[in-house]
Amino acid sequence: MFQIRWMNALAMLAAATLAAGLAHAEWKPTKPVEIIVHTGPGGGSDVLARAIVNMMEKEKLVPVRMLVLNKPGGNGAVAAAAIAEKKDDPHTLGLITSVWIANPLTTSEAKVTLYDLKPVAQLLMEPAVFAVRADSPFKTLKDFVEAARAKPGQMKQSGGSVTSRDNIVRQQLQHATGTKWAFVSFQGGGERLAALLGGHVDIMVIEPQEAGEQVRAGKLRVLAQLADHRLPGYPDAPTLKEAGFDVTPTPQIRAVVAPPQMPADAVAYWEGRFAKLCETPSWKKYVHDNQLEESFRPGPELRKSIVEIEKQLREQFTQAGIKVVR
Amino acid sequence: MEILSGLLQGFQVALTANNLVMCVVGVVLGTIIGVLPGLGPPATIAMLLPLTFKLDPTGAMIMLAGIYYGAKYGGSTTSILLNVPGESSSVVTCIDGYQMALKGRAGPALGMAAIASFIAGTFGVVALMLVAPPLARLSLAFSAPEYFALMVFGLTMVVLLAGDSLTKAFLAMLVGLWIASMGTDLFTATSRFTFDRTELLGGIDFIIVAIGVFAVGEVLGNMEPAKPAEMLPVPKGLKNLMPTWEDMKKCRFAFLNGSVVGFLIGILPGAGSTIASFISYGIEKGVSKHPEEFGKGAIEGVAAPEGSNNAETGGALVPLLTLGIPGSGTTAILLAALVLWGFKPGPLFIQDNPQMFWGLVASMYIGNVLLLILNLPLVAVFAQILRMPGYAMYPLILGVSIVGVYTASSSLFQLGLLAVFGLLGYAMRKLDYPTAPLVLGLVLGDPMEKALRQSLMMSQGDPSILLRPIPSVLLALAALLLVVPLFKRINAIRIQVIERES
Repeated sequence: MFQIRWMNALAMLAAATLAAGLAHAEWKPTKPVEIIVHTGPGGGSDVLARAIVNMMEKEKLVPVRMLVLNKPGGNGAVAAAAIAEKKDDPHTLGLITSVWIANPLTTSEAKVTLYDLKPVAQLLMEPAVFAVRADSPFKTLKDFVEAARAKPGQMKQSGGSVTSRDNIVRQQLQHATGTKWAFVSFQGGGERLAALLGGHVDIMVIEPQEAGEQVRAGKLRVLAQLADHRLPGYPDAPTLKEAGFDVTPTPQIRAVVAPPQMPADAVAYWEGRFAKLCETPSWKKYVHDNQLEESFRPGPELRKSIVEIEKQLREQFTQAGIKVVR
Repeated sequence: MEILSGLLQGFQVALTANNLVMCVVGVVLGTIIGVLPGLGPPATIAMLLPLTFKLDPTGAMIMLAGIYYGAKYGGSTTSILLNVPGESSSVVTCIDGYQMALKGRAGPALGMAAIASFIAGTFGVVALMLVAPPLARLSLAFSAPEYFALMVFGLTMVVLLAGDSLTKAFLAMLVGLWIASMGTDLFTATSRFTFDRTELLGGIDFIIVAIGVFAVGEVLGNMEPAKPAEMLPVPKGLKNLMPTWEDMKKCRFAFLNGSVVGFLIGILPGAGSTIASFISYGIEKGVSKHPEEFGKGAIEGVAAPEGSNNAETGGALVPLLTLGIPGSGTTAILLAALVLWGFKPGPLFIQDNPQMFWGLVASMYIGNVLLLILNLPLVAVFAQILRMPGYAMYPLILGVSIVGVYTASSSLFQLGLLAVFGLLGYAMRKLDYPTAPLVLGLVLGDPMEKALRQSLMMSQGDPSILLRPIPSVLLALAALLLVVPLFKRINAIRIQVIERES
């Protein structure tokens, strides 16, 4: 027991040296920490936040308990406002996705943007794949695009909101190839998949892990992947570039932010903790099992990612005729 | 034969001491959170998720599922006693359950809720076990046009929920439909009726509206009379606390209706237990020989929705376990739990993990029996709450409502909304507007609008997509429901005219 504690201390010391350039005084959380997420229980961010809490506990990285607080509504706007309200509280964090970048661009009521919050660390990139039913005539993404060219507007893709990655990559492909197909929005991932499996739409953008089981059962076929390089789980599916499309998909990130005035030493502490987390075997296993992509970046780098993604989204929204409000 | 050996294997799994304890823990927790308004199964399961990593996954799944269906049993309690829906799927139970309580029949209402839950819940498990794979494939045939027709059919239930005036019921429903349209529009990402408030971007949660117009409105209405409110009668003796044989006979059809409707709607990924309970209530009233008793304390009005929301659990597990598709908040978090434990939910899940599947099915048989045994004696305890005088009862209802809304949202803005809808409920009562159609419109408005727009997006704007076989049948039924009372009215006028002439 004593030995474990001693090793803990050593590990913490190591983390502290890692963040030495930033942390002057050693700050540590003294009461339970809340992670605010923008989805309800069971949603993507909620599940990741609970997995993080579990791993932090298992790897004994944080001396206090961590809790997940759901603030659903408005595609992240409600959660962003809740984090901003915490002002300088070092015991509140937020788990964001690219949705938090896209939403304020199109929604004037979303008054808090990510520029109002403190970036802590980028954790992950989420790849995705284009999938069709296994009995579909389309063997490659080219086949699908050609079909869309032959019958403009008649091919159908199921997906989320118009500002989601699913639609943005569709817009990019349509633009690059001069074709057009329909986009049908569904609220939940389950409904999108059901529409594809039931033959009501022709194609969808789906998470690799979710698609994997459907492929194994002979229900779906993966045509291409929205990633820079081929995912380990899909060695045979080409990336968009390899499939012959000059399209760079906007990265889908997951990252940690903090209230606007969180003191620098606390921000440095959290950045160090998440850096440490991303090196643990539990984290590596989680990333592998869920077919995600590791992409740790410290706070200032995260800020750069956000700026870059926002720039891309702004262009793509304008191109797609979606009204940008700020 | 395969099913029998699977089930035997399942009972071997479910009856181990460890898993039996898990099942008990799950159903007891489920009953408790069911009774508490605001706290629902998804939030509870999410909170318990970290604990389950230390458990054997089969046992953990048995416990989490126990919370899921256990909550459906507990949800009716506050609906009947306080007019505060304990779970979203128990909203309909308020209509006749609370009226029964006012008439001194809270005991039979609570007892019937438990019995109907048991019968339909067990039916749901049997159906899950016997027909899951073929039905799951069938559920995929259901898409936007079919959902649209189903929601329209559901909306025509307004005819059955109306009181004296159909016009007032329609007006209330339209307000419900309007509230349903608030928030960020999924299709265009534009905001509708948000009054520049961030809090309204997510729309208004129907459970807040239901608690407001039902419970808070009721309290405000009752505080008005100058004479002190009377205590509600609670008959003495265990015999009077249980449904009579006569009640059971009355509810024969409600058990069947609740079981079948609940299960069938449960397997559809785009509809949920609240919609199932509204539709089975409507069907029950539609076929009843004494529809005039509904809304005034008909016991079938408790049995049908309470049954259907329990059968729905079995149904909702079908797409989750056989296709890897979650159809509701609770099944989404169960799916997430399976992934976190290292399973791969999908079409091959049952084949790869027969022990988990059959253990779960067997535990649900056991869990439903446990819930019946647990809930029937609780009836006697809960019914005593009504002995409280008005000056204690109304603050209790208000307190439960406020705590419920705050636990679910932890937001003062939502409490403000509760007050607004409480006042609306009070005004509706004073002006004699029925409140149930408002909640009906609110529940069905959003999925109906989405399904219509999805259908038209699929067909490039051609409305004939709505005339596929299943939607045609449902829309014809809906039209029939709307037209019948019209004919009755015309007939009544005709008779009046004839009488006057002669």
